[in-house]
Amino acid sequence: MSDLDKVDYDVLNVVALKKMASAPTIAIDTGVDAADVTAALARLSAQGLVVVVGDAALPTDEAEPALAAAASEYYADLRGDPEVGELVEKFETVNSQFLTTMSSWQQIDVGGRKVANDHTDSEYDDKVISRIEKLVARLGPLLAGLAGHDGRFAAYPRRFAATIETIDAGQHDFVSSPTKDSVHNIWFELHEDLLRTLGRERTE
Amino acid sequence: MADVLAEGYNVFDTSKSPSGTVKYLSSPADVISLIQSGKLQEHILLVRGGTTTFLAPALSMGAIGVITMSGAPESHLGILSREFQTPCVMTAHLTGSDSRYVVGATSDEHFAEIARELDGKKVRLDCTDDEVGRIVADD
Repeated sequence: MSDLDKVDYDVLNVVALKKMASAPTIAIDTGVDAADVTAALARLSAQGLVVVVGDAALPTDEAEPALAAAASEYYADLRGDPEVGELVEKFETVNSQFLTTMSSWQQIDVGGRKVANDHTDSEYDDKVISRIEKLVARLGPLLAGLAGHDGRFAAYPRRFAATIETIDAGQHDFVSSPTKDSVHNIWFELHEDLLRTLGRERTE
Repeated sequence: MADVLAEGYNVFDTSKSPSGTVKYLSSPADVISLIQSGKLQEHILLVRGGTTTFLAPALSMGAIGVITMSGAPESHLGILSREFQTPCVMTAHLTGSDSRYVVGATSDEHFAEIARELDGKKVRLDCTDDEVGRIVADD
């Protein structure tokens, strides 16, 4: 049996994905009640799995191994699901397209030289945003497959939808800002989460 | 021109040229203790992986410069460093060594040598070139 019960796993998982997270954010991303998140953080801190600095929890070096051990128990069925396996293979391709697209949001090619995108060319920006939205849409079947095994994965389509709505309303910093629930942050967390859930290493 | 100790991919062109003592970070615990020490801004951070995501808290807390020993500017860390406008040189190699990073075929000694040579040195990052980021001695 794992030392982490499922609530503690979910809370620690979010802390490890965000590298730094406050209780209200963890509550939103896990769907766990705010009071239960605070109690879980206290237990995790006593076990030496998180360090609380100010109002943020950071994972310790012991967090990843503890999560990996628990994930191999919790996700044994999911790992053996051939349908999910097939969708995960496709994710790698979509992921590299996503990274390239994200870089093209930050930098544009001017005569072979990459310069910062100053976001004055709205036609260019709209094209990149529409490409990003298409890439997010392609995650649909994978996210549905994962949520079929563990309901917490439903948080990803919910967060993507809210963020894309915000972008479409004109708040373009929700594309890549590291301090907002941006598409880039959500995508990155999903990728890390996926690797842990499946017990895989990054290919890079 | 100052002595170029190492060079790698420049993640984005910037006239910012941070200087500080190189601090090799090997784990999340190293990042946490550096943040807690209050001396984050005295250091140029050196990490092994290009996807070393445990650096994210350091970047959001105001790290002044980053050197990685692997990874590409298109990676997550590259995207983050552009967002935070933190100068970043990726897949840096020592100018005084023939050892180079090769995906999937790099010995631990390659990384150990870079850490040994750079850790504790006073350096300045030169990230003005379109392609190459330089780590120069700053004595």
